[in-house]
Amino acid sequence: MIDEVDCMNVRDILWEAARSDSHRALPILSFPAAQKMGVTVEDLVKNSELQARAMELISRETNTLAAVSMMDLSVEAEAFGANVRFFSDEIPAITGQLVSNMEEVQALEVPDLNAARIPVCIEAVRLAKERIHDKPILAGMIGPYSLAGRLMDVTEIMYVCFDEPEIVHEVLEKVTSFLISYGSAMKAAGADGVMMAEPLAGILSPDMADEFSVPYVTRIIDALQDDSFAVIYHNCGKSAGDMLESLFSQGAAAYHFGNAVDMAKIMAEAPEDILCMGNIDPASQLAGGTPETVAAAVKELLDRCGNYKNFIPSSGCDIPAHASWENIEAFFNTVEESK
Amino acid sequence: MLNEISVKLQAGKAKIVKELVQQAIDAGTPVQEILENGLLKGMDVIGEKFKNDEVYVPEVLLAARAMNSGMSVLKPYLVAAGVKNTGKACIGTIEGDLHDIGKNLVRMMMEGKGLEVIDLGTNVSPETFIKTAIEQNCSIICISALLTTTMTTMEKVVKLAEEAGIRDKVKIMVGGAPLTDAFASKIGADAYTPDAATAAEVAAEFCHGM
Repeated sequence: MIDEVDCMNVRDILWEAARSDSHRALPILSFPAAQKMGVTVEDLVKNSELQARAMELISRETNTLAAVSMMDLSVEAEAFGANVRFFSDEIPAITGQLVSNMEEVQALEVPDLNAARIPVCIEAVRLAKERIHDKPILAGMIGPYSLAGRLMDVTEIMYVCFDEPEIVHEVLEKVTSFLISYGSAMKAAGADGVMMAEPLAGILSPDMADEFSVPYVTRIIDALQDDSFAVIYHNCGKSAGDMLESLFSQGAAAYHFGNAVDMAKIMAEAPEDILCMGNIDPASQLAGGTPETVAAAVKELLDRCGNYKNFIPSSGCDIPAHASWENIEAFFNTVEESK
Repeated sequence: MLNEISVKLQAGKAKIVKELVQQAIDAGTPVQEILENGLLKGMDVIGEKFKNDEVYVPEVLLAARAMNSGMSVLKPYLVAAGVKNTGKACIGTIEGDLHDIGKNLVRMMMEGKGLEVIDLGTNVSPETFIKTAIEQNCSIICISALLTTTMTTMEKVVKLAEEAGIRDKVKIMVGGAPLTDAFASKIGADAYTPDAATAAEVAAEFCHGM
């Protein structure tokens, strides 16, 4: 098995799964491991050993296609100096506005890889790679516009995009430079790819996404992706479905969509050589549903999308830490029982 | 002139809307007409387009900013003319939750329906919602949540409203990505709305019915 993974890159593994007559899933699943480990979310996000053990646990106990590291989208903003609030049962959140004008943006330093919890996340991937031999490792990473939004405030940045777009572009230059360094470090630590979450681009209009997200995402993908390292692009916003052509032009190894879009519509529009993933509602189903409702939702998803040979079933976004394992098991079981 | 205000508002042209509102006032146009057939009409169009997925979040933010720009000129005249708000609401993201885009959009859309909206921000305790509703005489409490762990705290707002004896005087509206109609019914809220434009419509209906 080790040899199989060593000689297959993430892209190959995902395509093989998509083209198979049976289904396998790749949900964004990491934080629910905290329940089984008896630790809090705050413990997890601050400790590389715990993160690696969480990835190992999920890799061992589920039939996921890859081990995904913590999808904690506060890590990179914190490295830039943003304030973070930690919770025992939820992923951390960024508070306040770090930069608001050109002077502040020009003074904003691109952090090195020792800033804040960046070393914790890189070390977690390194440890996970040492311990997980039968599945590829995907590191979690934020996308450029979503990081810029956390530094400038997610509402305010949209005004600035119209009023003084050069300020947003200046921030985007800096975060893109950082994300390329961070992704490269993940690669060096042993990650087989990154799942880059760009959710804020999913509330922009297609024109705005074309200006403020797509070119920067493309640069990051071009810098990181090669035959042995894949970038999976995640966008769970509602408008993602209106900008497919542009998103697909970014060149990611796969595209992951949220439950705000109709997955069947995405699959109908996606070219056959574009790998797409999605989109069981993590909140209302995996966290708020029952094994029966989860199974029904998965069956419906597979009824509508399962025949596409470029589709992999997944959660629509990161699965909440408190989602019950009965629901998670129902998700995997239903996927695997479906032909 | 009023149509032009509406059109420029929809295009998010804050400075032009402000100038046009002043011109309309100077031309002797009744201030209530400027409000209803200029500013609020423009927001109505944007709200409808947003509900139908014809415009995106940034366009709504810009239109709302243009409305506020026009209102900054118009408000003193509205007060002087004794024009009342459609109603009064307080809004916030529930305790433990720091997300605010959805809440901000609802606030803007409600203001676009002529409601006075007190924005309590994020991480708002159930007690603060109730205290504000009582002290500010709000007829609507509007609660937002993005996290599945925080949405359950919304039920406490409903219970506190009952305990405070204001439940029959205030409508409680809830919204946010993980919420559903069934959840709203379960906690005893008056309405769940799936998007900001619908929230504003329902709020306006509640106010008209009170």
